[in-house]
Amino acid sequence: MSGLTDLLSMALLGIGTLFLLIGATGLLRLPDVFTRLHGASVTDTLGAGAILLGLALAAGWGLLMGKILALLLIMALLGPSTAHALARAATHGFRKPWLHETDKAEK
Amino acid sequence: MLIESVNIFLLALLAVTAIAAVRLRDLFAVAMMFGIYSLLAAVMFVLLDAVDVAFTEAAVGVGISTVLMLGTIGLVGRYERGSVRSSLLPLTVVVATGATLIYGTLDMPHFGDPTAPVHQHVAPAYITESPQQTGIPNVVTSILASYRGYDTLGELAVIFTAGVGVLALLGLRRRKRPGKEGVGQ
Amino acid sequence: MILTITLIALLVTMAFALIRAIKGPTVYDRILASNALGTKTVLMIAVLGFVVGDPELYIDIAIMYVLIGFIGTVAVLKISEFGNLGQPQSHTETEDP
Repeated sequence: MSGLTDLLSMALLGIGTLFLLIGATGLLRLPDVFTRLHGASVTDTLGAGAILLGLALAAGWGLLMGKILALLLIMALLGPSTAHALARAATHGFRKPWLHETDKAEK
Repeated sequence: MLIESVNIFLLALLAVTAIAAVRLRDLFAVAMMFGIYSLLAAVMFVLLDAVDVAFTEAAVGVGISTVLMLGTIGLVGRYERGSVRSSLLPLTVVVATGATLIYGTLDMPHFGDPTAPVHQHVAPAYITESPQQTGIPNVVTSILASYRGYDTLGELAVIFTAGVGVLALLGLRRRKRPGKEGVGQ
Repeated sequence: MILTITLIALLVTMAFALIRAIKGPTVYDRILASNALGTKTVLMIAVLGFVVGDPELYIDIAIMYVLIGFIGTVAVLKISEFGNLGQPQSHTETEDP
Protein backbone atom coordinates (compact mmCIF):
# COMPACT_ATOMS: atom_id res chain seq x y z
CA MET A 1 0.00 0.00 0.00
CA SER A 2 2.76 2.38 0.95
CA GLY A 3 4.62 1.55 -2.23
CA LEU A 4 1.51 2.27 -4.29
CA THR A 5 1.02 5.65 -2.58
CA ASP A 6 4.65 6.57 -3.21
CA LEU A 7 4.32 5.61 -6.85
CA LEU A 8 1.13 7.65 -7.21
CA SER A 9 2.75 10.63 -5.51
CA MET A 10 5.74 10.44 -7.80
CA ALA A 11 3.50 10.15 -10.85
CA LEU A 12 1.49 13.20 -9.76
CA LEU A 13 4.66 15.20 -9.14
CA GLY A 14 5.94 14.21 -12.58
CA ILE A 15 2.66 15.27 -14.26
CA GLY A 16 2.76 18.56 -12.35
CA THR A 17 6.34 19.19 -13.41
CA LEU A 18 5.43 18.51 -17.02
CA PHE A 19 2.55 20.98 -16.89
CA LEU A 20 4.77 23.54 -15.16
CA LEU A 21 7.20 23.44 -18.06
CA ILE A 22 4.38 23.52 -20.63
CA GLY A 23 2.85 26.55 -18.93
CA ALA A 24 6.21 28.29 -18.66
CA THR A 25 6.85 27.77 -22.36
CA GLY A 26 3.40 29.15 -23.11
CA LEU A 27 4.01 32.18 -20.93
CA LEU A 28 7.19 32.88 -22.83
CA ARG A 29 6.22 32.02 -26.41
CA LEU A 30 2.55 32.90 -26.95
CA PRO A 31 1.79 36.11 -28.85
CA ASP A 32 -0.32 38.30 -26.55
CA VAL A 33 -1.66 38.84 -23.02
CA PHE A 34 -4.83 36.83 -23.40
CA THR A 35 -3.10 33.80 -24.88
CA ARG A 36 -0.29 34.04 -22.33
CA LEU A 37 -3.00 33.96 -19.68
CA HIS A 38 -3.76 30.42 -20.87
CA GLY A 39 -0.16 29.40 -20.27
CA ALA A 40 -0.13 30.87 -16.78
CA SER A 41 -3.49 29.26 -15.98
CA VAL A 42 -2.20 25.82 -16.96
CA THR A 43 0.55 26.08 -14.38
CA ASP A 44 -1.79 27.58 -11.79
CA THR A 45 -4.44 24.86 -11.99
CA LEU A 46 -3.05 21.61 -13.40
CA GLY A 47 0.60 22.11 -12.48
CA ALA A 48 0.06 23.41 -8.96
CA GLY A 49 -2.85 21.03 -8.41
CA ALA A 50 -0.92 17.92 -9.40
CA ILE A 51 2.21 18.94 -7.47
CA LEU A 52 0.28 19.77 -4.30
CA LEU A 53 -1.73 16.54 -4.56
CA GLY A 54 1.52 14.64 -4.94
CA LEU A 55 2.95 16.40 -1.90
CA ALA A 56 -0.22 15.65 0.07
CA LEU A 57 0.14 11.95 -0.76
CA ALA A 58 3.81 12.07 0.23
CA ALA A 59 2.90 13.74 3.52
CA GLY A 60 0.55 10.94 4.51
CA TRP A 61 -2.59 11.11 6.63
CA GLY A 62 -2.57 13.91 9.18
CA LEU A 63 -2.62 17.64 9.80
CA LEU A 64 0.04 18.28 7.16
CA MET A 65 -2.13 16.69 4.49
CA GLY A 66 -5.02 18.91 5.60
CA LYS A 67 -2.84 22.00 5.34
CA ILE A 68 -1.67 21.07 1.85
CA LEU A 69 -5.24 20.42 0.75
CA ALA A 70 -6.26 23.79 2.23
CA LEU A 71 -3.46 25.41 0.24
CA LEU A 72 -4.70 23.59 -2.84
CA LEU A 73 -8.24 24.84 -2.21
CA ILE A 74 -7.05 28.43 -1.73
CA MET A 75 -5.01 28.29 -4.92
CA ALA A 76 -7.91 26.74 -6.83
CA LEU A 77 -10.13 29.64 -5.68
CA LEU A 78 -7.65 32.48 -6.10
CA GLY A 79 -5.98 31.46 -9.36
CA PRO A 80 -9.07 31.80 -11.58
CA SER A 81 -10.10 34.98 -9.72
CA THR A 82 -6.75 36.56 -10.47
CA ALA A 83 -6.87 35.42 -14.09
CA HIS A 84 -10.36 36.84 -14.47
CA ALA A 85 -9.40 40.17 -12.89
CA LEU A 86 -6.36 40.38 -15.14
CA ALA A 87 -8.33 39.61 -18.28
CA ARG A 88 -10.96 42.17 -17.28
CA ALA A 89 -8.38 44.84 -16.60
CA ALA A 90 -6.66 44.08 -19.90
CA THR A 91 -9.96 44.35 -21.81
CA HIS A 92 -10.78 47.63 -20.09
CA GLY A 93 -7.35 48.86 -21.10
CA PHE A 94 -8.58 48.39 -24.71
CA ARG A 95 -6.21 45.57 -25.49
CA LYS A 96 -7.73 43.71 -28.40
CA PRO A 97 -7.32 39.93 -28.19
CA TRP A 98 -4.93 38.44 -30.71
CA LEU A 99 -7.09 36.58 -33.19
CA HIS A 100 -4.98 35.29 -36.05
CA GLU A 101 -1.59 35.61 -37.63
CA THR A 102 -2.36 38.74 -39.70
CA ASP A 103 -3.00 40.78 -36.54
CA LYS A 104 0.62 40.49 -35.64
CA ALA A 105 1.77 42.81 -38.40
CA GLU A 106 -0.35 45.75 -37.32
CA LYS A 107 0.47 45.44 -33.62
CA MET B 1 24.41 20.81 -2.37
CA LEU B 2 20.98 21.12 -3.94
CA ILE B 3 20.04 23.96 -1.61
CA GLU B 4 23.26 25.78 -2.44
CA SER B 5 22.51 25.48 -6.17
CA VAL B 6 18.99 26.82 -5.60
CA ASN B 7 20.47 29.71 -3.64
CA ILE B 8 22.93 30.53 -6.40
CA PHE B 9 20.22 30.37 -9.06
CA LEU B 10 17.94 32.62 -6.99
CA LEU B 11 20.79 35.08 -6.49
CA ALA B 12 21.34 35.16 -10.26
CA LEU B 13 17.63 35.84 -10.81
CA LEU B 14 17.82 38.61 -8.17
CA ALA B 15 20.74 40.22 -10.00
CA VAL B 16 18.89 40.04 -13.33
CA THR B 17 15.78 41.59 -11.74
CA ALA B 18 17.80 44.40 -10.17
CA ILE B 19 19.59 45.22 -13.43
CA ALA B 20 16.27 45.16 -15.31
CA ALA B 21 14.73 47.50 -12.72
CA VAL B 22 17.61 49.93 -13.22
CA ARG B 23 17.47 49.77 -17.03
CA LEU B 24 13.70 50.08 -17.53
CA ARG B 25 12.24 53.55 -18.09
CA ASP B 26 8.60 52.57 -17.51
CA LEU B 27 8.11 53.12 -13.77
CA PHE B 28 5.07 50.87 -13.64
CA ALA B 29 7.25 48.02 -14.89
CA VAL B 30 9.92 48.97 -12.35
CA ALA B 31 7.31 48.68 -9.58
CA MET B 32 6.44 45.19 -10.82
CA MET B 33 10.16 44.36 -10.88
CA PHE B 34 10.44 45.39 -7.24
CA GLY B 35 7.53 43.06 -6.45
CA ILE B 36 9.33 40.19 -8.19
CA TYR B 37 12.53 41.13 -6.38
CA SER B 38 10.86 40.87 -3.00
CA LEU B 39 9.30 37.51 -3.91
CA LEU B 40 12.70 36.09 -4.84
CA ALA B 41 14.32 37.62 -1.76
CA ALA B 42 11.57 36.13 0.40
CA VAL B 43 12.33 32.64 -0.94
CA MET B 44 15.98 33.19 -0.08
CA PHE B 45 15.06 34.27 3.44
CA VAL B 46 12.95 31.13 3.83
CA LEU B 47 15.93 29.07 2.67
CA LEU B 48 18.09 30.83 5.27
CA ASP B 49 15.53 29.86 7.98
CA ALA B 50 14.67 33.51 8.61
CA VAL B 51 10.93 32.95 8.49
CA ASP B 52 9.90 36.17 10.20
CA VAL B 53 11.99 38.26 7.82
CA ALA B 54 10.48 36.36 4.90
CA PHE B 55 6.97 37.16 6.15
CA THR B 56 7.82 40.83 6.48
CA GLU B 57 9.48 40.91 3.07
CA ALA B 58 6.49 39.30 1.41
CA ALA B 59 3.88 41.44 3.14
CA VAL B 60 5.71 44.75 2.77
CA GLY B 61 7.53 44.18 -0.51
CA VAL B 62 4.84 42.41 -2.52
CA GLY B 63 1.76 43.92 -0.95
CA ILE B 64 2.12 47.36 0.58
CA SER B 65 5.13 48.94 -1.08
CA THR B 66 3.99 47.96 -4.59
CA VAL B 67 0.61 49.57 -3.99
CA LEU B 68 2.18 52.69 -2.48
CA MET B 69 4.62 53.00 -5.39
CA LEU B 70 1.82 52.61 -7.93
CA GLY B 71 -0.20 55.25 -6.10
CA THR B 72 2.78 57.57 -6.30
CA ILE B 73 3.26 56.80 -10.01
CA GLY B 74 -0.38 57.79 -10.51
CA LEU B 75 0.52 61.23 -9.16
CA VAL B 76 3.90 61.92 -10.70
CA GLY B 77 3.77 60.38 -14.17
CA ARG B 78 4.71 57.03 -15.52
CA TYR B 79 7.89 57.46 -17.55
CA GLU B 80 11.30 58.35 -16.21
CA ARG B 81 13.03 61.26 -17.87
CA GLY B 82 16.58 60.55 -18.94
CA SER B 83 19.24 62.27 -16.88
CA VAL B 84 21.21 65.01 -18.63
CA ARG B 85 24.01 65.28 -16.08
CA SER B 86 27.12 63.18 -16.20
CA SER B 87 27.02 60.08 -14.06
CA LEU B 88 30.80 60.02 -13.52
CA LEU B 89 30.92 61.79 -10.14
CA PRO B 90 28.08 59.77 -8.54
CA LEU B 91 29.68 56.57 -9.86
CA THR B 92 33.00 57.50 -8.29
CA VAL B 93 31.37 58.30 -4.95
CA VAL B 94 29.40 55.04 -4.96
CA VAL B 95 32.41 52.91 -5.91
CA ALA B 96 34.57 54.58 -3.25
CA THR B 97 31.91 54.07 -0.57
CA GLY B 98 31.42 50.45 -1.60
CA ALA B 99 35.16 49.78 -1.54
CA THR B 100 35.40 51.30 1.94
CA LEU B 101 32.51 49.18 3.19
CA ILE B 102 33.99 45.99 1.74
CA TYR B 103 37.33 46.89 3.33
CA GLY B 104 35.47 47.31 6.62
CA THR B 105 33.89 43.86 6.43
CA LEU B 106 37.30 42.21 6.17
CA ASP B 107 37.81 42.63 9.93
CA MET B 108 34.44 41.15 10.80
CA PRO B 109 33.99 37.50 11.84
CA HIS B 110 33.02 35.09 9.08
CA PHE B 111 29.39 34.25 8.29
CA GLY B 112 28.14 31.62 10.73
CA ASP B 113 31.32 31.68 12.82
CA PRO B 114 30.37 30.19 16.21
CA THR B 115 33.17 32.07 17.99
CA ALA B 116 31.93 35.48 16.84
CA PRO B 117 31.32 37.91 19.74
CA VAL B 118 27.61 38.14 18.96
CA HIS B 119 27.20 34.42 19.67
CA GLN B 120 29.12 34.58 22.96
CA HIS B 121 27.47 37.35 24.95
CA VAL B 122 23.70 37.09 25.64
CA ALA B 123 22.57 34.85 22.80
CA PRO B 124 23.25 31.54 24.64
CA ALA B 125 21.21 32.77 27.61
CA TYR B 126 18.23 33.59 25.41
CA ILE B 127 18.51 30.33 23.49
CA THR B 128 18.63 28.17 26.63
CA GLU B 129 16.23 30.07 28.87
CA SER B 130 13.59 31.57 26.63
CA PRO B 131 11.49 28.37 26.27
CA GLN B 132 11.14 28.06 30.05
CA GLN B 133 10.65 31.78 30.66
CA THR B 134 8.13 32.55 27.92
CA GLY B 135 6.81 29.22 26.66
CA ILE B 136 7.33 30.20 23.02
CA PRO B 137 9.31 27.65 20.98
CA ASN B 138 10.75 30.18 18.49
CA VAL B 139 13.53 32.30 19.97
CA VAL B 140 13.06 35.27 17.63
CA THR B 141 9.33 35.38 18.31
CA SER B 142 9.88 35.16 22.06
CA ILE B 143 12.33 38.07 21.97
CA LEU B 144 10.12 40.23 19.72
CA ALA B 145 6.80 39.48 21.35
CA SER B 146 7.75 38.86 24.97
CA TYR B 147 11.07 40.39 26.07
CA ARG B 148 10.59 43.42 23.83
CA GLY B 149 6.78 43.42 23.78
CA TYR B 150 6.32 47.12 24.55
CA ASP B 151 9.02 48.00 22.04
CA THR B 152 7.20 46.05 19.34
CA LEU B 153 3.92 47.72 20.30
CA GLY B 154 5.57 51.14 19.90
CA GLU B 155 6.95 50.09 16.52
CA LEU B 156 3.50 49.07 15.37
CA ALA B 157 2.08 52.44 16.45
CA VAL B 158 4.82 54.23 14.50
CA ILE B 159 4.26 52.11 11.38
CA PHE B 160 0.51 52.65 11.58
CA THR B 161 1.00 56.41 11.86
CA ALA B 162 3.38 56.38 8.90
CA GLY B 163 0.88 54.38 6.85
CA VAL B 164 -1.92 56.80 7.64
CA GLY B 165 0.37 59.70 6.77
CA VAL B 166 1.31 58.22 3.41
CA LEU B 167 -2.34 57.52 2.58
CA ALA B 168 -3.21 61.09 3.47
CA LEU B 169 -0.39 62.39 1.25
CA LEU B 170 -1.41 60.25 -1.70
CA GLY B 171 -5.02 61.40 -1.37
CA LEU B 172 -6.74 58.18 -2.31
CA ARG B 173 -10.20 59.75 -2.04
CA ARG B 174 -9.52 62.25 -4.79
CA ARG B 175 -9.30 59.71 -7.58
CA LYS B 176 -12.97 58.80 -7.20
CA ARG B 177 -13.95 62.10 -8.82
CA PRO B 178 -13.34 62.21 -12.57
CA GLY B 179 -11.84 65.29 -14.13
CA LYS B 180 -9.48 66.11 -11.29
CA GLU B 181 -6.95 63.44 -12.14
CA GLY B 182 -3.55 63.89 -13.67
CA VAL B 183 -2.94 67.35 -12.20
CA GLY B 184 0.16 66.37 -10.29
CA GLN B 185 2.62 66.52 -13.15
CA MET C 1 14.70 12.46 -6.75
CA ILE C 2 11.43 13.54 -8.34
CA LEU C 3 11.34 16.44 -5.88
CA THR C 4 14.69 17.61 -7.23
CA ILE C 5 13.36 17.51 -10.78
CA THR C 6 10.27 19.45 -9.71
CA LEU C 7 12.47 22.01 -7.98
CA ILE C 8 14.59 22.49 -11.09
CA ALA C 9 11.46 22.79 -13.23
CA LEU C 10 10.15 25.44 -10.82
CA LEU C 11 13.39 27.39 -11.11
CA VAL C 12 13.21 27.20 -14.91
CA THR C 13 9.60 28.38 -14.80
CA MET C 14 10.58 31.29 -12.56
CA ALA C 15 13.33 32.25 -15.00
CA PHE C 16 10.86 32.16 -17.93
CA ALA C 17 8.38 34.30 -16.02
CA LEU C 18 11.16 36.75 -15.21
CA ILE C 19 12.11 36.98 -18.88
CA ARG C 20 8.47 37.69 -19.72
CA ALA C 21 8.34 40.36 -17.01
CA ILE C 22 11.41 42.05 -18.44
CA LYS C 23 10.31 41.82 -22.08
CA GLY C 24 6.82 43.13 -21.45
CA PRO C 25 5.60 44.58 -23.75
CA THR C 26 2.39 45.69 -22.00
CA VAL C 27 1.72 46.37 -18.34
CA TYR C 28 -0.59 43.37 -18.18
CA ASP C 29 2.17 41.04 -19.34
CA ARG C 30 4.29 42.21 -16.46
CA ILE C 31 1.47 41.84 -13.94
CA LEU C 32 0.78 38.35 -15.30
CA ALA C 33 4.44 37.38 -15.06
CA SER C 34 4.70 38.79 -11.55
CA ASN C 35 1.59 36.88 -10.48
CA ALA C 36 2.83 33.66 -12.08
CA LEU C 37 6.13 34.11 -10.29
CA GLY C 38 4.23 34.51 -7.01
CA THR C 39 2.41 31.22 -7.59
CA LYS C 40 5.71 29.50 -8.42
CA THR C 41 7.17 30.94 -5.22
CA VAL C 42 4.40 29.35 -3.18
CA LEU C 43 4.89 25.99 -4.92
CA MET C 44 8.62 26.26 -4.47
CA ILE C 45 8.35 26.88 -0.73
CA ALA C 46 5.99 23.89 -0.42
CA VAL C 47 8.37 21.62 -2.39
CA LEU C 48 11.39 22.97 -0.52
CA GLY C 49 9.73 22.00 2.75
CA PHE C 50 9.80 18.37 1.63
CA VAL C 51 13.35 18.68 0.28
CA VAL C 52 14.66 20.21 3.51
CA GLY C 53 12.60 17.86 5.67
CA ASP C 54 10.51 20.37 7.63
CA PRO C 55 7.25 20.49 5.65
CA GLU C 56 4.99 21.61 8.53
CA LEU C 57 6.63 25.01 8.87
CA TYR C 58 7.09 25.60 5.15
CA ILE C 59 3.46 24.81 4.30
CA ASP C 60 2.32 27.46 6.78
CA ILE C 61 4.55 29.99 5.06
CA ALA C 62 3.22 28.91 1.66
CA ILE C 63 -0.39 29.47 2.78
CA MET C 64 0.53 32.96 4.01
CA TYR C 65 2.23 33.72 0.70
CA VAL C 66 -0.64 32.72 -1.54
CA LEU C 67 -2.97 35.05 0.38
CA ILE C 68 -0.54 37.98 0.33
CA GLY C 69 0.16 37.46 -3.36
CA PHE C 70 -3.55 37.51 -4.18
CA ILE C 71 -4.07 40.77 -2.28
CA GLY C 72 -1.08 42.35 -4.02
CA THR C 73 -2.16 41.32 -7.51
CA VAL C 74 -5.75 42.47 -7.05
CA ALA C 75 -4.58 45.82 -5.66
CA VAL C 76 -2.25 46.32 -8.64
CA LEU C 77 -5.04 45.42 -11.06
CA LYS C 78 -7.42 47.83 -9.33
CA ILE C 79 -4.95 50.64 -9.76
CA SER C 80 -4.14 49.75 -13.35
CA GLU C 81 -7.81 49.45 -14.26
CA PHE C 82 -9.45 52.34 -12.43
CA GLY C 83 -6.66 54.45 -11.08
CA ASN C 84 -4.89 57.18 -12.92
CA LEU C 85 -1.63 56.09 -14.46
CA GLY C 86 -0.45 59.68 -14.67
CA GLN C 87 -0.56 60.11 -18.42
CA PRO C 88 -3.28 61.58 -20.64
CA GLN C 89 -3.44 58.66 -23.08
CA SER C 90 -3.45 55.98 -20.41
CA HIS C 91 -6.93 54.79 -21.42
CA THR C 92 -6.08 54.15 -25.04
CA GLU C 93 -2.51 52.93 -25.08
CA THR C 94 -0.46 51.08 -22.52
CA GLU C 95 2.39 50.03 -24.78
CA ASP C 96 5.97 50.98 -24.05
CA PRO C 97 7.37 53.91 -26.03
